[in-house]
Amino acid sequence: MFAIETQHLSKFYSRGKVKALQNFSLTVEQGKIFGLLGPNGAGKTTFIKIVLGIIHPNGGKASILGKPITDYKVHRHIGYLSEKHHFPGFLTAGRVLYYFGKMSGLTGSALEKRMDELLELVKLSDWKNHKVREFSKGMQQRLGLAHALINDPKLIFLDEPTDGIDPVGRREIRDLLQLLRDQGKTIFLNSHLLSEVERISDEIAILKDGRLLKKGPVHEFLAVDRQYQLKIAQEKNTLEAICQKMSVTLSQTDGAFMISVKNDEQLNELIDRLRSSKVLIRAIVPYKISLEDFFIDVIEENEGDGQ
Amino acid sequence: MKLWSIILLTFRESLAKKTFMAFLGISTFICLLLIFALNLDIVNGMQSSVSLFGQDIESAAEITKILFGIESGIAILLFSGGIFMSLFATSSLVPSLLQEGYIDIFISKPVSRLDILLGRYLGAIVIVALNIFYLVIFSGAILSIKTGIWNWGYLWAGVIIVLTFGALFALMTFLSVLSRSGPLSLMITYLVLFFSPMLLARDEIYALLSSPVYGYFFDGLYYFLPKTAELGVILQKLVSNQPVESWMPLWSSMLFAVFMLAVTAYIFQKKNF
Ligand SMILES: Nc1ncnc2c1ncn2[C@@H]1O[C@H](COP(=O)(O)OP(=O)(O)OP(=O)(O)O)[C@@H](O)[C@H]1O
Ligand SMILES: [Mg+2]
Repeated sequence: MFAIETQHLSKFYSRGKVKALQNFSLTVEQGKIFGLLGPNGAGKTTFIKIVLGIIHPNGGKASILGKPITDYKVHRHIGYLSEKHHFPGFLTAGRVLYYFGKMSGLTGSALEKRMDELLELVKLSDWKNHKVREFSKGMQQRLGLAHALINDPKLIFLDEPTDGIDPVGRREIRDLLQLLRDQGKTIFLNSHLLSEVERISDEIAILKDGRLLKKGPVHEFLAVDRQYQLKIAQEKNTLEAICQKMSVTLSQTDGAFMISVKNDEQLNELIDRLRSSKVLIRAIVPYKISLEDFFIDVIEENEGDGQ
Repeated sequence: MKLWSIILLTFRESLAKKTFMAFLGISTFICLLLIFALNLDIVNGMQSSVSLFGQDIESAAEITKILFGIESGIAILLFSGGIFMSLFATSSLVPSLLQEGYIDIFISKPVSRLDILLGRYLGAIVIVALNIFYLVIFSGAILSIKTGIWNWGYLWAGVIIVLTFGALFALMTFLSVLSRSGPLSLMITYLVLFFSPMLLARDEIYALLSSPVYGYFFDGLYYFLPKTAELGVILQKLVSNQPVESWMPLWSSMLFAVFMLAVTAYIFQKKNF
């Protein structure tokens, strides 16, 4: 069973002029952190809202945790942090968790215990009896996250969870998400913070103009074979000469040298030659492009052939 | 259980609005007025006299008349002013639920859209009923203890008021789901509240119209809409212990509420948020 499975989902707005999703098919395995990326207006929020039954698709089929999305009862095992969530300002943090916990089917002491645990987890214990209107943006976001976890969900949808949260808080949330994943939960993440997605996601998909451009494991997208970043102290000319002699491609980016070799033997021979010419090697690092570079490449490749 | 949590949350949201507090304040004031304005002298277990605002009233029949008079007054006040205020105070409940970022949360919980809508509707009814019965029960008790006459018709009047509110609030809920605007829905509901009584005089309007089609139209409108004026008449009959000639205005208004809620539920089900 997949955590999420959709077939040919489509959603149009403004009588078909805006295609928020087009023929979008996606499967997400259980126990993974899945990142959905895409420029503003790509359809990421639309996708989450469709699978949660908040908006209705114009076509296609979808299921979560093996149940069709029209079955609201499956929400017993779902957590959701909305991109624009807002809780009534006059409610205290405790009350927010209380009412929505009850709506998720929790009661009595189990609910009370869970509330305290979660407030502790998002570092809002001291704010339990404060009204939401006194909260800063980041605190509201933390409360939103706590609320999304109240029912100990199996599948968690987070629409830009670290929006407005400070760096330390972001790291804590990252650790939390990894912990949840290790407990076997599935996390579906929409985020623009690509460095974060890169760090925690197992799999990503890239969406643009409502269409799926790429989907796969993060490490496969980012690894570039047989390219290395080389840091040396000086002797730039020596390096250039050796590379030319060995016909190794050399380029220079951001003050570091990039070499592209045919195989490991060639790499080792290069190192031997550099060393015997007394070139001081500081580091040789297998080259990985950042998710950001990959993302921008994919988006630019598909520029213009949108709607 | 989950429906109840939605009702409770709606209740809590209403409380946060100061209007209901003002409502309770006014009710308390009326009760205090009754406590101090109406004096009874009991001699040998018999009422020898009742005095209202210092004036003595002698006969038992007179006392009953006065009691019915005061209770009718309060009931009519609640029926008009109370419903007016209650509609005002509840007008933002449905639009605020439909706000992006709030309705999402509800739908993502294991509750059906029907439960969400009903929870809101019933939450509003519960808080209005509490307000109305607060005044009806307390003022009724004060008056009955002082006069020794227990008038159950007064309690039934409270029920009629809540039901009338229920019919009008169903209309307002429908308008709110359609337009997502509290003020607009409130205005149209007020229009229905104030102008539907005119349909009672539709025979006079017919005389002025050329085509019988208008006649059918106004007849249809009359039978469709909540019949606030006639509900007011039923209310007065109940308070003064007189027989009610026709319950049609009540059941047809309730039918209107059910119909409105059903249509609203259908629209709500189809909506994208
Ligand atoms: N209610 C609506 N009416 C009309 N168009 C809408 C509506 N909601 C979304 N859209 C359009 O659908 C498209 C997808 O929007 P969506 O919110 O899913 O984007 P997103 O990928 O979440 O963007 P962001 O990164 O900015 O959050 C956009 O073009 C948007 O303008
Ligand atoms: Mg979005």
